[in-house]
Amino acid sequence: MGSKAVENQVIVVTSGKGGVGKTTTVANVATALARNGYKVVVTDLDIGLKKLDLIMGLENRVIYDIVQVIEGECTLKQALVKDKRFPDLYMLPAAQTRNKDDIRPDQVKSLCDELRPEFDYIIIDCPAGIEQGFRNAIAAADQAIVVTNPEVSAVRDADRIIGMLESAQFKDIRLVVNRLRPDMVRSGDMLSIEDLLEHLCIDLLGVVPEDKLVVPSTNKGEPIVLNEKSSAAVAFSNIARRLIGEEVDFPNFTENESVWTKLKSLGRNLLSGKGA
Amino acid sequence: MLDFLKKVFSNEKTSRTQANERLRVVLTHDRLGASSELMEVLKIEIMEVIARHVEIDGNPEVNLVSEGRHSALDINIPLKGR
Repeated sequence: MGSKAVENQVIVVTSGKGGVGKTTTVANVATALARNGYKVVVTDLDIGLKKLDLIMGLENRVIYDIVQVIEGECTLKQALVKDKRFPDLYMLPAAQTRNKDDIRPDQVKSLCDELRPEFDYIIIDCPAGIEQGFRNAIAAADQAIVVTNPEVSAVRDADRIIGMLESAQFKDIRLVVNRLRPDMVRSGDMLSIEDLLEHLCIDLLGVVPEDKLVVPSTNKGEPIVLNEKSSAAVAFSNIARRLIGEEVDFPNFTENESVWTKLKSLGRNLLSGKGA
Repeated sequence: MLDFLKKVFSNEKTSRTQANERLRVVLTHDRLGASSELMEVLKIEIMEVIARHVEIDGNPEVNLVSEGRHSALDINIPLKGR
């Protein structure tokens, strides 16, 4: 049973454009929430193009899929795949040989209603695009996370998606900026967080810096959030903390931290008696 | 040194600035479901209606301005005094 009283427990992760990091965000935020003691289920609605099982390293444990649940071939419990690392983390796999049109928004809604009492958080991995798959994915959600990259085409698609979420009466829509390169922002070759917020006009939930450790962790099927050396891991676990309502400051990604500013803050801390 | 000064005083835009400018235009039009052609048509027709009743003076302007996710038409049409 889900044990915590959680507001807006069904979260859809969406983006419009493909390849910006939706599935990676789902896998890592869910893992971080489970590590914090929450009971979480991730649902892959990218039917026909499933990825979540692979990203989470659970592809060998899949037996049934969401379409089989909806069509009554198996129970919801039978289809849920238990995570390798956290006992309170589960995945509901997508079907690979079916289409997005094989399920309807109302079916996703009743499936989520069945999951609500059992879990603290239900996180939905939305397919790219604005068609049926998108409508299925947002049907049951209480809040939305829009993932984008600091890149014009991704921002344009994110804006379209935000407009569609607003028309669908979403009140809680927050932005995750993935693959930020602070060095490129400083040299004037990449959109900054401030630029993105000015264009998209929604609240910021997280900023994930580009991190070379992500690809090897994906290769192994281990969520990057478990790697303590990774800057992306810190970012994903901060996103999870903000979701549960903690106030977590955003680190300044783009300001030049020169030796001089480091010395100044060291001096300030010494003077105020806090130590370095 | 000359190169440095050239860089400082030239108006060469960074690609970040260009991205911001392009996004501003594209998002405003996307949100309205309108193209820049439509804006031109709108401008011409608005001026025609005004000119039918009063005499226009100077350089009339019809611009799309946006704040946040909301947009407005900013119409500035100077009229000839009598």
